[in-house]
Amino acid sequence: MSEVFDIFLLESVLNGLLLGGLLALLSLGLNLIFGVIDVVWICYAELIMVGMYAVYYFHVVFGWPLLLAMLMGILIVAMAGAALHYFVIRPVLAAEPINQLLVTGGVLFFLQAAATLAFGIEFKNLGVTFPPIVVGDISFSMPRLIAFVTALAGMLGMYLFLTRTYIGTAIRAISQDRTIMPLMGVNPNRIFLVTSALGGGLAGLGACLLVLQYDIHPAIGLSFGPITFLICVLGGLGNMVGGFIAAFIFAQFISVGGFFFAIEWGYVIAFLFFIGMMFWRPQGLFTK
Amino acid sequence: MNHRDTCGRFCARALVAAIAAVGFASFAHAQQKEIKLGVIYDYTGAFAAGGSAAAGIGTKAAIDMINERGGIEGYKLKATYADAQSKAEVAINEMTRLLDQEKVDIVMGVFSSAHCVPMAQQMDARKKFFWANVCVASAVLKDKKLQYVFRPQVHSDQFGEASCTFLQENAKAKLGKEAKDLKVAVIYEDGPYGAGVASGNEAKCKSLGMNMVLKEGYAATSPDLSSLITKLRRAQPDVILHTGYNPDITLFWRQAKEQGLKWSALIGHGAGYGQYDKLREAFGKDAEFIYNVDPVAAQLLDPKSLKPGLGDITKEMIKRYTAEIKDRKVDEIPPHVSMGFNQSWILFTDVIPRAIKKYGGIDPEALRKASLETDIPVGGTIQGYGVKFFPPGTPMSGQNERSSPVVMQYIGGDTKIVWPAAIKTADPVLPLPKGHTYAR
Repeated sequence: MSEVFDIFLLESVLNGLLLGGLLALLSLGLNLIFGVIDVVWICYAELIMVGMYAVYYFHVVFGWPLLLAMLMGILIVAMAGAALHYFVIRPVLAAEPINQLLVTGGVLFFLQAAATLAFGIEFKNLGVTFPPIVVGDISFSMPRLIAFVTALAGMLGMYLFLTRTYIGTAIRAISQDRTIMPLMGVNPNRIFLVTSALGGGLAGLGACLLVLQYDIHPAIGLSFGPITFLICVLGGLGNMVGGFIAAFIFAQFISVGGFFFAIEWGYVIAFLFFIGMMFWRPQGLFTK
Repeated sequence: MNHRDTCGRFCARALVAAIAAVGFASFAHAQQKEIKLGVIYDYTGAFAAGGSAAAGIGTKAAIDMINERGGIEGYKLKATYADAQSKAEVAINEMTRLLDQEKVDIVMGVFSSAHCVPMAQQMDARKKFFWANVCVASAVLKDKKLQYVFRPQVHSDQFGEASCTFLQENAKAKLGKEAKDLKVAVIYEDGPYGAGVASGNEAKCKSLGMNMVLKEGYAATSPDLSSLITKLRRAQPDVILHTGYNPDITLFWRQAKEQGLKWSALIGHGAGYGQYDKLREAFGKDAEFIYNVDPVAAQLLDPKSLKPGLGDITKEMIKRYTAEIKDRKVDEIPPHVSMGFNQSWILFTDVIPRAIKKYGGIDPEALRKASLETDIPVGGTIQGYGVKFFPPGTPMSGQNERSSPVVMQYIGGDTKIVWPAAIKTADPVLPLPKGHTYAR
């Protein structure tokens, strides 16, 4: 078998699939926000960082059970998302896109600096590690598998929410035409606030999964912010399904590219693909 | 003589006395000469917890202690501390600010080699004196012909050589293999620091005939190392030689466990591997038996092996560090504290006094000449090594030719020196004992 097929290549493909799940989950919230409010939260990964600290403090410092701490983490980041919209985004909703981008960029630096002052420079972690899941000669990461399943569930949940609930329908409607919908009795400010809380909640969910795999520090957002943004652009900003699929494509480039070449080449190939796609389909791969 | 006259004369005298006192104080103040130091470390960002902040505390302790002892030859040390924020561009901007606005006489400190390489070249081009405390990349000085840059610290080639020599000396006795049969993998963060140590690893291990099955770098901020681990699982090295900072090291260990990677030994090289308390916090018992190559943490050395009085200096350094960072066991104190302190102490007690006495001041030329005359024998610093700088015209001019790292291992919750044999405090545990998470 190993003579005709490299089992480690298969492992690499599967690991790419699991990494894709994690990245897909991270891109979900950012895409939702852009799709509805038409603003890019450059500070999205920093909200995830806030969620990671929240889970750490509730679980390790205050001694709460992990699942409860995670629920609190999601709640806190959801509230942070709503607060971000109310205090920062709402006043610049009518401003030029570059101004909106700069404002959320400012929040990014504010959150990083505030986290350094509040939590210090020390790396923190839950102190939990997971044994491998071994199938034959292949090993998987359990937290990655959890992230993968959660991403699928999150996507399904989001689909059901947007299609089966009144508020979800209103969100979809206002994302299609934000000028007409107020005439039909939909309060856009309320919808934007709910959407921001939802986007924040998804960032919190991402934080719950990242905290199982990564150390927490004020600069953790730098590892995920740019890549999440690129995935959203690749799939088409605001296109949740597109971002979801783009995450898996991107992850395969990283994983399989890193397997065949040096690991850094995986990223080089992924970014080259991204640049090429921006020439070919600047609106994103999956935007009609 | 009425009351008014008495008061008038008394008040006039008092006024004269007061003016004289103020004048004398001002004169004395004007006479108090200063050496302006620009101290650059990463006090925030990813490098801060990887050892930079600890080194900063060590350097500050040395500066405070010198000032409390009356300064150096009539000069007080006046330090301006700058935060490089773990970003090379910020480090360079801060260096420029310190030189042009603060008008410092010496720039010192610097944790990251990625910051050190460009800073050293810019400092030298401006003929300003730069004293590198912590950064280790050989590339800072190698073939650069710098004249005003000096580094008493160990350099990365030595890191790479130490781990391979340690393996060669223990392969047969501990692993039951000749060195040439040993399969070694080298993985590293791909900045100047990691790349420098890795090329030292590669050159030395290959020269000893070892079988290099994988050598690969990665970005320290990489969010995923699973393909690297898959390749390591395929290559099945006996020993992994790893150089990295902090988040990438813990990510590697976590993913290695999740993907079932096993080894006989893993030897780390400084930075994140010097932070035993953090490793233990993250991995518990799994952090047992990790090796770390680094300049030795001074508190681990027997003071009797050093010049008399240095043991007390180390104690004072530790006292000041633990006053700042509470609840830390002495043998958990990272070696970066010693690096920050020791190199500063060498500058303040050997180089600067000679520059003032023999060369008449603290200008870059005087400091350069005084540095080139430094001749401290082995045992003459708190970290044990001596100091003599390679002279101009040699490939590593400005580098301390007497510096040397040690190989340490975390055994039973303590840090032990396992190499070189002359100063070892424990026998290395090699290979990993059965039952250990990463044991084969």
